[in-house]
Amino acid sequence: MPFSRVHLAFPVALALVLGCVLPLGLLLVFSVFTVDMDAFDMVPDLSGHSWGQILSDPVFAFLIGKAVVSGLVTAGLAAIVGYPLALAMARLPLVWKGVANIVLLTPLYTGEIVRIYAWRIVLGSEGLVNAVLKGLGLIDAPLKFLLFSPFTTHLVLLYNNLPFMVLAIWISVELVDTRLIEAARDLGARPVEAFTKVILPLTTPGLAVGLFAVFALAAGDMLTPSLLGGTSGATPMAMIDNLFGTAFDWPLASALALALLAVLFGCATLMAGLLLRLRGARAVFEGRRT
Amino acid sequence: MPEHAAHAPDAGLILSARGLVKSYGKGRAVDGVDLDIPERAFTTLLGPSGCGKTTILRMIAGFETPDAGSLVLDGRPLKGVPPERRPVNTVFQSYALFPHLTVFENVAFSLTLRRGAGDPSPRVKRALDAVHMGDFGARYPHQLSGGQQQRVAVARAIVAEPHMLLLDEPLSALDRKMRGHLQIELKDLQRRLGIAFVYVTHDQDEAFALSDIVVVMNKGRIVQKADPLTLYARPASAFVADFIGAASLVPGKIVAMRRTAMSATATLDTPLGIVEAPVAEGLESGAAAMLVIRPEHLQVSTAPSALRAQVQHVVFRGDRFLIEAESHGCLLRVMSDTALDPGTAIGLDLDRARAFITQVEG
Repeated sequence: MPFSRVHLAFPVALALVLGCVLPLGLLLVFSVFTVDMDAFDMVPDLSGHSWGQILSDPVFAFLIGKAVVSGLVTAGLAAIVGYPLALAMARLPLVWKGVANIVLLTPLYTGEIVRIYAWRIVLGSEGLVNAVLKGLGLIDAPLKFLLFSPFTTHLVLLYNNLPFMVLAIWISVELVDTRLIEAARDLGARPVEAFTKVILPLTTPGLAVGLFAVFALAAGDMLTPSLLGGTSGATPMAMIDNLFGTAFDWPLASALALALLAVLFGCATLMAGLLLRLRGARAVFEGRRT
Repeated sequence: MPEHAAHAPDAGLILSARGLVKSYGKGRAVDGVDLDIPERAFTTLLGPSGCGKTTILRMIAGFETPDAGSLVLDGRPLKGVPPERRPVNTVFQSYALFPHLTVFENVAFSLTLRRGAGDPSPRVKRALDAVHMGDFGARYPHQLSGGQQQRVAVARAIVAEPHMLLLDEPLSALDRKMRGHLQIELKDLQRRLGIAFVYVTHDQDEAFALSDIVVVMNKGRIVQKADPLTLYARPASAFVADFIGAASLVPGKIVAMRRTAMSATATLDTPLGIVEAPVAEGLESGAAAMLVIRPEHLQVSTAPSALRAQVQHVVFRGDRFLIEAESHGCLLRVMSDTALDPGTAIGLDLDRARAFITQVEG
């Protein structure tokens, strides 16, 4: 590339790496320290005790696994809901694209706590949904699973993170040459087939960005599960918070944080690997123009 | 050359359009077009950019819906029929090959959509062989040159044996030499397949090289529909004469008409003097008209009777020089074997019998 300006990215890249590597290094060091329970202090006595706990106590594996599943489920749902929205947005006239963008991002402008309490009002036993269903005579007793259940957690995780999926897919759809879609239709593809055979493969990069973002955000969310998930709301994040704070077990908290990070990293790597095997994604990333 | 006449359609029509109208915003891209496309012929829609030719093609393919008018293909009205259910295929200007599929998969695309159609391989191979791309099945489109990509696009469009092939300026992105090659191949392919080709171009050389019938369009309307020879010799209007070939156009007024069963001639009063020549339809005595003179019908001459003219521009054309000369306020174009300096006074001899009198407007 004759106009490569890669070096321009160095300062920011350096800041990012240091900002990421230094705290992680600190966590790694903490994780092999021990807690002196009498002095209520962390002492630099090297020990594998915390890591042993992480590996031996199934509660940690369970929590991490639960976070991964939550992330995957939310990302999957967001993809399914997000594609129709993104496709519709790509077909709007220019001005309406701007409007759709603003509307799409509106939830993000309100604080997470505000949104969560709004959901409580909507989904609670005396809430809007139950009141309407009852008023219509469809139910006799309020639907309990609407609030404080895995259903609630994932509904709200989906709602909170959907914009990231829609935006990523939308940009990707915009970049698909409409003539390719016309060519597919011309060659006998019905709209659904044009989607599965041309649009979907060529928008996998956008889908991937959306999946990565929603997966990370949902798997790492603490507030939504703990405030809306009820008894099902335990998360590794809440556990880490607890260990750093109330329990004052920084080594275990550090080890758990690192273990969670490693697992999420592993998942993301796996997803990236799968993605790059898709020919549609390769065609886009290689900038193929015909 | 009666060759064009020999290939003129003896069969019926494959497509009829009646009263087609399509507007974008305030402008009318297609403004009341009636068009019949014969079976087994090579028909070209020719005109400047924005004349509506591509819009007509897109309405036939089903990508645009006419605001008014009807399209009937094979006796079946096309209204409401989506593109995938029309028995026509399109070769796009930009090729529009699927970048994530191999050449083979691109060509097989339409065949693999139909369940129970069997192994597409033999048909894909035949289509690729027909465009001399048989060895490139495993490649991806971006690994091919422009000309090769266009060949693949043609193979992809013919593999399902459409009743009609639509080609939207398919060669315009290629260099001159490759264009010439592919023109010959396309013409050859059309004869072998024996299906109707409808070709859109703004290049009159291309239209002449390929077509049995040329439909000249301007501002959303059809100006003339004829075989290339007729179009060149007897343009229906000054627009057609000017768009096709380097004609000299001399305005005048018809002072007399003479009609026989076979032909019509008119006497035209022009700044160059009185000229008697064959005349286009629809002109009457007293009407303003335009005299069309092709460069080959003028000759630089030293005869005393020659028109006096002054050289304005000289353009080297490889084999000869195109001279633009001014005579009595009219610009005349003539071919010359020798270069002449601008400003030189010359005489011009007009082959009056081969000039043509046509409509001013159109």
